[in-house]
Amino acid sequence: MSARTPILRVNGLKKYFQVARGSLHAVDDVSFDIDKGKTLGMVGESGCGKSTTGRLLVRLHEATAGSIVYDGSEVTKAGDREMKALRTRMQMIFQDPYSSINPRHTVATIIGEPLKIHKKVSNSQEYEDRVHQLMATVGLADRLYDAYPHELDGGRRQRIGIARALALDPEFIVCDEPVSALDVSIQAQILNLLMDLQDRLGLTYLFITHDLSVVKHISDDIVIMYMGQVVERGPTEELFTKPIHPYGRALLSAIPIPKLNARKERIILKSEVSSPINPKPGCRFAPRCIHAQPECSVADPALREMGPGRFVACRLAEQFI
Amino acid sequence: MTTTVAARPSTSNFSRFLRRSGRNFSQFWRQLSRNKLAVASLALVLVFALVAIFADLLYEYDFVTSNSLENALLKPGESGVVYYHEKDIEHTFILGSDNYGRDILGRLVHGARVSMIIGFATVAIALLTGGILGAIAGYKGGLFDTLIMRATDILLSIPTILLAIAIVAALGNSFFNLLIAISTSMIPGYIRIVRASIITVKDQEFVEAARCIGAGDLRIVLKHILPNITSPIIVQSTLNVGSAINWAASLSFLGLGILPPKPEWGNMLSEAREFIQYAPHLLFAPGLTILLTVLAYNLIGDGLRDALDPKLKR
Amino acid sequence: MEKILEIRDLAVNYYSDRKIVRAINGLSLDMTAGKVLGLVGETGAGKTTLALSTLNMIRAPQGRIMAGTVRFAGKDVFTMTKHELRDMRGKDVAMIFQDPMTALNPVLSVGEQIAETVLKHEKLGKENAWKKAEAMLETVGIPAERAKEYPHQFSGGMKQRVVIALALACNPKLLLADEPTTALDVTIQAQVLDLMRKLIRDNGTSVLFITHSLGLVAENCDEVATMYAGEIVEYGSIDQVFGKALHPYTQGLFGSLPDLSESTMRLKPIPGLMPDPTALPEGCYFSPRCPHVMDICLKKHPTDVDLGGHRVKCHLFSAGSASDAGRPA
Repeated sequence: MSARTPILRVNGLKKYFQVARGSLHAVDDVSFDIDKGKTLGMVGESGCGKSTTGRLLVRLHEATAGSIVYDGSEVTKAGDREMKALRTRMQMIFQDPYSSINPRHTVATIIGEPLKIHKKVSNSQEYEDRVHQLMATVGLADRLYDAYPHELDGGRRQRIGIARALALDPEFIVCDEPVSALDVSIQAQILNLLMDLQDRLGLTYLFITHDLSVVKHISDDIVIMYMGQVVERGPTEELFTKPIHPYGRALLSAIPIPKLNARKERIILKSEVSSPINPKPGCRFAPRCIHAQPECSVADPALREMGPGRFVACRLAEQFI
Repeated sequence: MTTTVAARPSTSNFSRFLRRSGRNFSQFWRQLSRNKLAVASLALVLVFALVAIFADLLYEYDFVTSNSLENALLKPGESGVVYYHEKDIEHTFILGSDNYGRDILGRLVHGARVSMIIGFATVAIALLTGGILGAIAGYKGGLFDTLIMRATDILLSIPTILLAIAIVAALGNSFFNLLIAISTSMIPGYIRIVRASIITVKDQEFVEAARCIGAGDLRIVLKHILPNITSPIIVQSTLNVGSAINWAASLSFLGLGILPPKPEWGNMLSEAREFIQYAPHLLFAPGLTILLTVLAYNLIGDGLRDALDPKLKR
Repeated sequence: MEKILEIRDLAVNYYSDRKIVRAINGLSLDMTAGKVLGLVGETGAGKTTLALSTLNMIRAPQGRIMAGTVRFAGKDVFTMTKHELRDMRGKDVAMIFQDPMTALNPVLSVGEQIAETVLKHEKLGKENAWKKAEAMLETVGIPAERAKEYPHQFSGGMKQRVVIALALACNPKLLLADEPTTALDVTIQAQVLDLMRKLIRDNGTSVLFITHSLGLVAENCDEVATMYAGEIVEYGSIDQVFGKALHPYTQGLFGSLPDLSESTMRLKPIPGLMPDPTALPEGCYFSPRCPHVMDICLKKHPTDVDLGGHRVKCHLFSAGSASDAGRPA
């Protein structure tokens, strides 16, 4: 096995929000590594904390506890100047192409803003050239330089977001559901673009999505989240052929397959009662799990290594291998 | 490895800016021109503005402030001889004359100038003050928000007319104090609008994205939030101009603010009270003018609100 | 087989900002009673417009039915009286919309909403209507005690189940389901669709299942039609279309999908975008993006070709072009 060179190490990351009824544990003790040049897919359904985790990595939220180490620098404690420097290396692509770009700015303004903020260009000719270059990289026609977002469709708007994320030549990009809001044929175009960029520029991705077929296509490793916690982690191929955690297995069985006679045994989950507010100790998936036993609700199951790079948080994991 | 791009001639930023602005404006104009009332009101307001600007060309200021008692209370259309600047002049009083023999239309024309200045000046003052306070309250939140909003609440709990009277009474009767009184009453409205707009916009994803690329607070407020909250502010300001003119007239009517012989629509109304029975034109002329002006500004405000509604853009 | 819905040469326009949006262009479609037809298309294809046309809900002056007929159970929908239309909507034809959040009235309890529709369409008293409402809720897996609760007290999946209960309460002959599970998590989606499948099987309801997901179509539908730029470009049974997709657009849709069972290196997306409905191209609307485009495609609009029940609108299959042997443009 080749030496792993993790460029990002996340350890014990927590984010709690104070809400009226108590403390909402959006991200609760999440740990993972990402190797340089690789893609880690983060999957889970709504409310699992994947988007919050992504935002914590680029410091759009302040972590309640835990550490995020990017290439040796502790992101959670970085001062203003250090953070500004880190931002040139860690960027984010947002989910909604309709609300993540300023409707009053032109394409050029949106893409070029990072250059202005970090003074990466010294005159307007350089600025124009660099913006045109970025537009070409993501496949936006030259003539759209002065266009406004509302004149463009979702796919093109998302390309603007990608170009903006690339403007500072980052090494690491958090992709927060970048294709979820797009039509199927446009999704494919954007996914291909993201993969090409990774090859050409040696980018490292954290790819957040709820769509399992998309994540399989683009990720090297996958982490499955449930209610703020990591329940399973492992290499993509392995995880898809042999999922271990009951939630992972239910998730995979739920994906509709566009093929004849592919209908498989669907794992039906029980009622949807868990709440992330003031959660009680014990496995958070237990209320929905058909294999749950009383001991499961006593203490949080630890994330255990079941094989090389393979982690599962379930007391009964051995049963499902 | 970067993609090479063919060199292109650099069109000047300014010409591009002009072209873009032209595109934006024509789109906006198409929306607005659908509202016939708004367009008519806009025309009316423009006419009044021109009249105000060129008031001196139409009627001399001295002429409308000098008494000519022989010509008192002439009906609209009547003529008389006015002894002015040591000469006897034959003059037609298009809208008649008031109880001092002064040309009503002339006084209306010069009053327009006063009203226009009051209207725009008060709005400008209130917008700047209220805007900054509202921005701080909305963007910073926390203690700033609480302090500013409670102060606003206190201000709003005082009836506007009493507030204005109190200010003018305390500071004295002058044009400048009138401006202060009226703009003070408009400030809470602006604080609220700006604060609410900022709160709505600051949680949008593109603001998060701006933070992600390293934008600081000032850049975010000026370049990202401000351009997106102009619509409600423009609409409110248009309505406020009409409202300010109304207030100026009301306060002058009460004897605070602009006093005769200075021509002002409000004090013209006040002076007309005695003569309602036998010279009603003294009342109708300024009254209708105030009515038309305020109505016009309101209709423009409504039209703007519809034209600027971003939802109609798609 | 009885045809529950027959649409012939439907054309619908929208008018906005002095432009004419040609939302539906010469669309013909049949639905067999008791079957589930999946309607696949992307944003802008006109799927929702089609559903609304079926209920004669296209409102002037924004929209107008330009031509064509829609027959529901043999009756022409466009010539029905207001009374007949009211009877049809909600009782014979029910519709489920995409967003459960906005489909339910927030100030009425879920039981009341179901009871209201039952009262309107069936001759039951208030008591019995409420009992029916409770029974419907039980069938969708919501305990009857919760009938008095309000929509905001339910989660997204449960709200959508209430919407389904509402739609099926009067045992409609036809159910129009417009992306019924798009807003739901995938595990909830599976649950909700399983439930829907069972209910419609038990009642023999015909369903028009509008979706952009070919996976959902494979698992829930008997027949499938692909829609592009306001017309149906391919139609057939699941076996026919999934066995061998004929129209290049349908093939392109399949090619765009990341496949769970294979690890393809690169997806094969369809290049370009759906045409602007205010400026549709000459000839075949798909021609600008089609990998098999021929001369004739740019000039002449293709007509339906029926290949044993599997219908396709493409010059590759028209009798005439067979002799041209598909010379690429």
